[in-house]
Amino acid sequence: MQTNGGHSQAIAQLQLAMQAAGYVAEPGVCAALFLLGELGRPLLVEGDPGVGKTALAKALAEVHGTSLIRLQCYEGLDVHHALYEWNYQGQLLAIKIAEARGTQSALDEDALFSEKFLLPRPLLQSISAERPPVLLIDEIDRADEPFEALLLELLSDFQVSIPEIGTVRARSRPMVVLTSNGTRELSDALRRRCLYLFLDYPSFEKELLILETRVPELPRVLGRQVVEFVQALRQIDLKKRPGIAETLDWAASLLRLGIPSLEGADVEDIMITLTALIKTRDDRLAVTPELVERLLAAC
Amino acid sequence: MRPVPVPLATPQLEHALKARIAGFVSTLRANGFPIGVEEGLDALATAARIGVLERDAVRAGWRSLLCARVDEWRRFDALFDSYWLPANSKAWVQNDSSGAGRGAPQRSDSPQSGFAHSVFELGEAGGAPADGDTAREGASRAALTEEVSFANLHNPAQVRELEILVRTFARRVRRLKLRREHAQAAEQRIDLRRTLRASLAYGGTPLRLAFRGPRRERPRLVLLLDASRSMSLYSFFYLRLARALTGAVADTHSFIFHTRLTPISEALDDPDPWRAQERLRLLSAGWAGGTLIGESLRDFNRSHASRVLHSRTVVIIASDGFDAGEPGMLGDELGKIAGRTRRIVWLNPLKGRAGYEPTARGMQEALPHIDLFETGHDVHSLRRLLPLLQEIL
Repeated sequence: MQTNGGHSQAIAQLQLAMQAAGYVAEPGVCAALFLLGELGRPLLVEGDPGVGKTALAKALAEVHGTSLIRLQCYEGLDVHHALYEWNYQGQLLAIKIAEARGTQSALDEDALFSEKFLLPRPLLQSISAERPPVLLIDEIDRADEPFEALLLELLSDFQVSIPEIGTVRARSRPMVVLTSNGTRELSDALRRRCLYLFLDYPSFEKELLILETRVPELPRVLGRQVVEFVQALRQIDLKKRPGIAETLDWAASLLRLGIPSLEGADVEDIMITLTALIKTRDDRLAVTPELVERLLAAC
Repeated sequence: MRPVPVPLATPQLEHALKARIAGFVSTLRANGFPIGVEEGLDALATAARIGVLERDAVRAGWRSLLCARVDEWRRFDALFDSYWLPANSKAWVQNDSSGAGRGAPQRSDSPQSGFAHSVFELGEAGGAPADGDTAREGASRAALTEEVSFANLHNPAQVRELEILVRTFARRVRRLKLRREHAQAAEQRIDLRRTLRASLAYGGTPLRLAFRGPRRERPRLVLLLDASRSMSLYSFFYLRLARALTGAVADTHSFIFHTRLTPISEALDDPDPWRAQERLRLLSAGWAGGTLIGESLRDFNRSHASRVLHSRTVVIIASDGFDAGEPGMLGDELGKIAGRTRRIVWLNPLKGRAGYEPTARGMQEALPHIDLFETGHDVHSLRRLLPLLQEIL
C-alpha cells in the first residue's frame, strides 16, 4: 500500500476548481467527488431541499468541462422516458413512403428498428457520449422501485440491452450523481453501490462565502446581515426551512428594492421581501413582524 | 489516526495498517453499517490513494464510501474517533458537515458517542453503574449506556399466547372496509356509468351489470415504544407485541425511544429470533436510561413522519408518560402527529393499577390528542385491547 500522500493535493485542487465554478465545497465534499472519479462509483447526495445537491452536479460538470445530462425522476417514470423510445411516427412515415415508392422489399424490419429510429433518453445518452458526461439523476426517491432496479442494472454494468438491436455498451463511463430528498427509503442495494454524501445547511462562514461568490455586487455589510438573519430563521421550527437558493433570492430581492442595510430598515419593507424566503402559508403566519423585528435586532 | 513513524510502508507496517483498517471496517459493521466485501477493499484502496497520513481527507473519503444513510453519516465521526484516536483526545470531533440548521447541539455525552463506547470498551467500562437515585417511576435526562440482555425477547410460552391473539387480530384487520367506494365486480349496488358503457356492446340493452362495493385498504400501524428505565418492567412485553404485530400485519413500523428515537422494524422483522435479539442489542444504546418523550416525538416528526404516516395510520405509543423534556413539547409534537394520522392509541401500563390517575405532566399534555387510552401490558389486557383497536382502525 502506498502510504505517502499526493492525492490530497488533487483534492485541494478540486476544491479550488469547484470554487471557480461557483460552488463552495468543503474538503469532505471534495474528497467524495475525488473518489467518485477514482473509484467510478455513483455518488448519492442527500439533504434537505435547497442545500445545493443539484448545484453540486452542475459545478462538477463545469469543472470537468463536460456536459450535464439530467434525468428528473417522478412517480411512474419508466424505461421509455428514462432509457430509450422508438420513433413510431418516423417508422410509420418510412413505411408509408416505402409503400408509395413501391420499394417495400428494401424496407425490412432491421431497417425499421435501426438507430435511425431510436430516440435516446437521458440514460442511454449518458453512456453513448464520447466524453464521459455528468449524469444527474435528480430526486431518485420520487421514482418507484421498478425504476430503481433498472437503474441498479445500468449502474453496475454500464450497458443496456435493447431487444431489437442488441446490447449497447457504454462508450464512456459517466460520472453519476443521484440526489434524494428522503420522501421514500431507497433500497439497500442502491445505497450500498453508491458513495454517500449528506449535505447539511451551511455554516455561517460557508453561506457568506457562497453569497459573496454568487452575488458579488452585494455590499459586505448587507451580506453578513442577510446570512445572520437566515441562519437565525433556520433555528425556528418552520415547515420549510429556507435553503441556500432562498438566501440568494432574498439577497437579490433586497438589492433590487434598494435596501442598503437590514439595520434600521423598515420592518414592513422586509416583510414584503420575505416572500423569497418563506414558502408556505403556515410559515408565513409563524413569522410575524414582531419576530422579524427581534431577528433584525440580533443581526 | 495513530502517528506513523517516518520510514513508511515497510512490509510489517503495511500489514499492521491493513489489519487495523480491516478492524475499523468490521467495527462499523458491528455497529450496523451495511458494508460489503467490496466496500472493505475500496476502503483500503481509498486510504492508499489519498495517503493514510491525510487524516481529514481519509476520514471524509471513508465517510462517503462507508456510510449509506443519514444516521450512519452522523454516527461516523464518533466511531472514527473512538477507533483511531487515543482515548483522551475524544474531543477532537470536527464535523464539517454540520452547520447551522438541524438545531440539535453536539453534546459530548450524546448517546451516539456512548454507543461507540459500549462497543469498543466493553468490559473495561462495564457500563455505568446504576445510580441509585433514579426511581423506577419517574424520568431522568441521563442517557444510560448499559448492555441489556435481550434474552427475554424470546420467551416461548408467553410468545405463543401473544402470537395467537395477534394473529386473530391481524386476520380481522388485514382487509379493512372503507366507506369510500370503488368499482367492483360482484356486489349489491349497480354502477350506472359502467353498466351503460357495457350496454353499448349489446346495442343499448344493459345485459351485463357492473357493481360498486366498498374499497378495501390495509391499515398501517406505527408503534412508538418507550424503552426508558421507568418502563423497564414492561418494555419487553411491548417489544414482543411489536414483533408479533410486525410478523402478522404487513404494514407495521416500530420505533423505540428513550432519549432519542431508533427505528427497529428491520431488526424485529428478522425471521430468526436469536438474530433479532442480537440486532436489538446493538440498537439498544441508552436502553433503560432517561426519557425525553417530546424530543423523541420531534425526532419522529422530522425524520420519519413524512415517510411513515398517512391518513390510514394508527399510531400506538407505549409509555408511562413520565417525560423529563421541555414542558409543552410533548403536546405540540403529538398534536402534529394527530393531524396527520387517523388515530392515536396510548398504552400506559400504569393505567391498570387501582386508583391510577393520569396526573403525570406528559400524560396531561398527551390526553387531548389520544383516541384510545389503554394498558395492554399483559396478555389479559391485550385480549380487551385488540378488539377495541380493531374498531377504531
